[in-house]
Amino acid sequence: MNALEFILAGMLAAATPFLLAALGELVVERAGVLNLGVEGLMAFGAVLAFIVVYHGGGHLLSFVAAGLGSAVLSLVFALVALGFRANQVATGLAIGILGQGLSALFGKTYESLTVKGLPKLALPWLSEIPLAGRLFTQDIVVWLSLAATLAIWVMFAYTKVGLVVRATGENPKAAHAIGYSVTAIRFAAVAFGGTMAGFAGAYAAVVYTPLWADGMIAGRGWIAIALVVFGTWLTGRIFLGACLFGAVSLMGLAAQATGLDVPSQVLASLPYLVTIIVLGIISADRRLLKLNGIASLGEPFER
Amino acid sequence: MLTNLTRRTLMKGIAATGLAGAFGSRAAFATDEPLGITLVIPSPIGDVGWGRALAAGLEPVKAAYGDKVKVTVIENIAEGPDADRIMNKTVADGNKFLIAGSFGYQNGALQIARRDPSVTVLHASGFQVAPNFSPFAAKYFQGTYLLGMAAATLSKTGKLGSVSAFAIPELITSINAFTLGAQAVRPDIEVSVVWVNSWFDPAKEQEAAKALMAQKCDVIFSNAQDTPSVISACEEAGIYAFNLNSSMKSYAPKTYLGCVATDWSPFFKASVDAHVAGTFEGANAFLGVTDKVVKVVDWSPDVPAEVMTKIKEIEAKIADGSFSPFAGPIAKADGSEGVASGATLSDGEIVAMDWHVKGVTTPLPK
Repeated sequence: MNALEFILAGMLAAATPFLLAALGELVVERAGVLNLGVEGLMAFGAVLAFIVVYHGGGHLLSFVAAGLGSAVLSLVFALVALGFRANQVATGLAIGILGQGLSALFGKTYESLTVKGLPKLALPWLSEIPLAGRLFTQDIVVWLSLAATLAIWVMFAYTKVGLVVRATGENPKAAHAIGYSVTAIRFAAVAFGGTMAGFAGAYAAVVYTPLWADGMIAGRGWIAIALVVFGTWLTGRIFLGACLFGAVSLMGLAAQATGLDVPSQVLASLPYLVTIIVLGIISADRRLLKLNGIASLGEPFER
Repeated sequence: MLTNLTRRTLMKGIAATGLAGAFGSRAAFATDEPLGITLVIPSPIGDVGWGRALAAGLEPVKAAYGDKVKVTVIENIAEGPDADRIMNKTVADGNKFLIAGSFGYQNGALQIARRDPSVTVLHASGFQVAPNFSPFAAKYFQGTYLLGMAAATLSKTGKLGSVSAFAIPELITSINAFTLGAQAVRPDIEVSVVWVNSWFDPAKEQEAAKALMAQKCDVIFSNAQDTPSVISACEEAGIYAFNLNSSMKSYAPKTYLGCVATDWSPFFKASVDAHVAGTFEGANAFLGVTDKVVKVVDWSPDVPAEVMTKIKEIEAKIADGSFSPFAGPIAKADGSEGVASGATLSDGEIVAMDWHVKGVTTPLPK
């Protein structure tokens, strides 16, 4: 396996935690809510998933637990920010810190323990293609998150549910006027975002790096939020951004391992630079940016 | 008189009375109160790793002194203002013996030592010394040299790798000695290094290990990672791996090569003894095999017996001081002379090392 194969093989798995969390946040923001607590929701999901797998509950149950747990925590956010119309930025940060604190508390006795990850599944035929075939040997969660990406794209592009969510974010008053419950839709969106963040955390803690260590999410929740913004709230661009970020960070490590004479600090900053530049160029059209931007993002809804 | 009484002077006055009161009452109990020992560390304590090694080093102190000491461990404290606040608080609470377990605590801990001469401070991996302030560091390189010998014997590809945190002298010397030890067995061996530029990011560490495997490295040195991320990834891939500080054999029962373990208890015990006797003197404590602080444990049974005999010989020579991994001639990675023939690097030169030896193929970040 050479460096290129290493990047191809690892890219999708490296992108998955970002992708799952960013897809969740995309739906939340499309509905007009800004939840900055993703990092904490991921950490909380991660510790719940780890505890379940560690005690023999299996990976399926661990994802269910992580999704439910983080959804419940995100509903606390929804209650405060949507129910009581508190400032969404402050509430999101608070819930994020709470999630990290809870994860440290629950994970105290599991610190630095490990579990078994998931086996990789090779797609028939495709995985036998030389070089590019490396892309097609991934664990089940990677395949499912690709499916989720497609599903969310279809939802926003072609379904009524997607249009209703978008309307809620674009013009909540209008959505309300034609009989949709803005608050209920936003609650549902936040819960969905929480579930996805929980899945992202679970993937990090029981599949990608199957161990628990306090602080192991290491800023990935923040990168997911940034991906949503730089991807201008479009599913395809967010997917591209996540893959790019994963690939470039692996590239930096591979470059060092091959002995390339580039300072490692530069390589470590490359994923951020490349992702920002590429997504920046793609979304340089100001008119389109305005069209995609969410008009009521972060604003509390009053009837 | 009253006109001079600003808010600030008033506050000063109150603070002074408060402090005087606190000190007064403490002096009265000084004889029968246990000695408060506080250990502050940057990461959460797991079953393994740096924090665990430091905490374990205090156990013999507890055993020897019983209820005459009261040990407090404060974990997961970020370097910076937060750490300064917490260290000040613990000293203000009457703890007279402080172990600052990370390089970044240096300035805050030094201020505490300067302000209060009755406090003794031990500080990990620093360079500042004061009468009541000792920096301490382990000579990991003595152990990594031995593991380099084993690694070169077991490697089939002739390529070794290291996942390393930051390019600081402590870690650079470990990699250099590892390389030199490997070359002692197999002169053409090559070592690749991936700097993850983080003390703590398990996912990135694991990716780095896989990047090294992709370059056909078949023995991997987990250099200063507190979690078993690298070790367990290597077990999964069937590749030999080793780490520093505390044994992670349970995470890699098949492919664990060994551990450059640190046992801080002799140093902590001696320092507490000196503090109690009032004879503590701050000095740079750079401790290794001779001091029984660094020892290689949990050797893999796969290392051939004749190589093991050779390793044990070198270990004995390092212990009695007749051998140093950094004895010349040593060439630098760029081909220039690092250590002249017949010369040996002093401790001072070792702690300031900022170059890689020949055989390390990854250029050092500048």
